[in-house]
Amino acid sequence: MTVLDTGRVRLHVQRLAPPDGRPARATVVLVHGLLTDSLASYYFTIAPALAAAGLDVVMYDQRGHGRSERPARGYGLDDAAGDLDAVLDGLGVPGPVHLVGNSYGGTVAFAYALRRPERVASLVVVESEPATPAWAVKLAGLLERVRHEMTADEGAALAWIAAHHGGHTARLAKAAGRLVRDTSIATDIPAGPVLDDAAIRTLRRPVLALYGADSDLAEQAPRMRALLPHCTAELVPGLRHSVLVEAPARVRDAVLDWVGRHGPPEAAERLPAEVGPGVRAR
Amino acid sequence: MTTSRPGTSGEADEAEILAELTAMIRQVLEGYEVEEGEVTMRTRFGADLELESIDLVTLAGLLQERYGGAVNFAEFVADLDLEEIIELDVGRLVGHIRRCLKASDGVGTR
Repeated sequence: MTVLDTGRVRLHVQRLAPPDGRPARATVVLVHGLLTDSLASYYFTIAPALAAAGLDVVMYDQRGHGRSERPARGYGLDDAAGDLDAVLDGLGVPGPVHLVGNSYGGTVAFAYALRRPERVASLVVVESEPATPAWAVKLAGLLERVRHEMTADEGAALAWIAAHHGGHTARLAKAAGRLVRDTSIATDIPAGPVLDDAAIRTLRRPVLALYGADSDLAEQAPRMRALLPHCTAELVPGLRHSVLVEAPARVRDAVLDWVGRHGPPEAAERLPAEVGPGVRAR
Repeated sequence: MTTSRPGTSGEADEAEILAELTAMIRQVLEGYEVEEGEVTMRTRFGADLELESIDLVTLAGLLQERYGGAVNFAEFVADLDLEEIIELDVGRLVGHIRRCLKASDGVGTR
């Protein structure tokens, strides 16, 4: 198991290379979601196929999750984006990367692409949205509900989860309970920083956004298309939030196709917003 | 594994692989205490050992360290979804390791 000490936190990282020592076509960095999620959601779904297709695949457990360290505080979006930056530095990842983010992992990817656009070639986000004021309110409610349920009567909550979603999900929920009880995550994440529409529009990198057609987040698809300068948004029929684990082949094919069509930004392709703040394509 | 005697080595291989896998599972579980003899071919990773998906990532890493490229865990689980992987039993993995080692003819696996 590879553990990367960023100086602020120890993070569990996994990297899969193309087989037979072939040089990688590009690097994809896979960022997982909140609470019950970990890099395992990629490791056992799309990651091996992406590596087999010739990509350098980087995964890491976000702080507090999986096998990474669980510090008592420091769970804001800036911390999460800083961890992603440190993973790229720590692994010596060359060139701009394609970020793949699931749920909150996509929110981290948006934040990072705005903070370090020169390190990002494109984004693929699954069931995800940028950190807006409405997002912060929603996440505050969700995190507080989980914290309350896992504090008031953890046994009953876990029994209900085991009965409805199986023993494995209940074990993941138990770990999530420790995270929300023992750390400041429930207050840190809603604290932002959040982005207004104008800030989101400054994201010049191409974005592929996938949503479950039956998900609460499906309404984000037209919004992302309207807001982002280069966005393809697609709905996956019959699914709600669990698009990655329930339709891994769909996500895998989408990522491979997308990465194949979006090489690292060439000089000619560099977008006006990066030349100077006065030049805006809108 | 310099020689292979078909017909007699099968069970010995299986027992040996099970013992090695059991040691790896103990390492993954660290403080969780798996009692001696508790891991059998029928022991399930999720329901019996209470492994989480991230624990199986760790186990895959230990398999890689032990067997190198000869045993490909990713290939083993490629056609399964996450819930199916979690509910696999130890015997299925032992069988996979045996087949992989046979296919690579034992060369470079020791």
